Amino acid sequence: MPNNKMHYIITSITLGAIAASSALLISLTNLATRKQIDINEKNKINAGISEIFGENTEISKEYAIKDFKYTNYVYEVKREGESSEMFAFRTSGSNSYGKISLLVGFNYYQIPGGEEFEYVFSSISVIVNEQTYASTLVENYIDPVNDNKRNYEDVSCGATYGAKLIRDMINEAKEVTKTDFRKE
Amino acid sequence: MAREKGYTKKNFLKGILIENPLFVSILGTCPALATTKTLEAAIGMGLLFTVVLICSNVLVSLLRKLIPEEVRTPAYIVIIATFVTMVKMFTNAFLPELYSTLGVFISLIVVNCIVLGRAEAYASKNGVFDSLIDALGMGVGYTLAIMLMAIFREVLGTGAFSFGKIFTFIPEVKLQIIPKGYEISMFQNPAGAFIVFGLILAIIAFIRNRKAELKANLERQEKIRKAQEAKALANGGNK
Repeated sequence: MPNNKMHYIITSITLGAIAASSALLISLTNLATRKQIDINEKNKINAGISEIFGENTEISKEYAIKDFKYTNYVYEVKREGESSEMFAFRTSGSNSYGKISLLVGFNYYQIPGGEEFEYVFSSISVIVNEQTYASTLVENYIDPVNDNKRNYEDVSCGATYGAKLIRDMINEAKEVTKTDFRKE
Repeated sequence: MAREKGYTKKNFLKGILIENPLFVSILGTCPALATTKTLEAAIGMGLLFTVVLICSNVLVSLLRKLIPEEVRTPAYIVIIATFVTMVKMFTNAFLPELYSTLGVFISLIVVNCIVLGRAEAYASKNGVFDSLIDALGMGVGYTLAIMLMAIFREVLGTGAFSFGKIFTFIPEVKLQIIPKGYEISMFQNPAGAFIVFGLILAIIAFIRNRKAELKANLERQEKIRKAQEAKALANGGNK
């Protein structure tokens, strides 16, 4: 039936036009906001690094990490007038409740009495997600001095689901410290 | 068709009072419970919601004669989702604190019954100007409603009002209302949100019932008075 055919054609054209205009509007908005969103992202990372290692710190090098599930970047951090080495591992994970991005801080120390260096866990900073996950985790979950001593399984944590994901992310960051990520 | 006098004012005010989306139609309760921890977050949510509602209502009204009947709902959802995505990007870029505070609730405006409801029930049947006024009224009504909830929750839950944490362009101010140690932190939790929402609804129901009761009483008295007058007239006539 030609009338029916015409109706279908008009309907598809209308829907197509709406979809195309939507795509165009979203693309234009993306163009207008992308730069500022990137700047905000960088500011967030810098704020997270200051939260972990203190003020007057800045990123001196950036390493892209591949072949790991959560960890995607490692930032080498320097403090003005100091030679100590600090590293912030950027890990991102998602679950049914959304996306979580963390900075996991490690200090690179020389083992006392020896010549070898080791990464010692410092702290974490949440860059994407509710702060409550982080505070609960830092208070109840992570031993701020030595992360090997605490029995992770027995610790009760307010955000159980998120905490499991965060635990996996932190453990993976620890695994990355054992690799030669600086050569990549 | 002749326009009723004062229609625009009535159209705007209905969203705030008589047809308030949150307290009368009980729509959009999910973000109302989740984003009313602080007054600032509630204002932010209200503003974003109003912007999306106005834009989608205006566009739906403009395209009302072009969108075929069978694909109305999907077309409206695409329009609403487009505006929500744009608002989300702008918030992420220029109000990052608001973006991280509201989180997923910005995206959830897409499925807010009020936005789709107004597009379907009003904008698809009325002109652009009326749809704009309707959206403005509904948006302001919803914003005021969640602000009212936030006032109770923030004051009772934290004992103070804080400004400048989400809208960082204003100086950070904290107004202590209840002395420290006397705040009830439960009001910051979801349970507290439900209690506040329930109490406000109860107060509104009480006021409405009271009004209806008074009106019924007045009408009854009027009837009795008229009956007495008629009786007196009849008696007088008989004499």
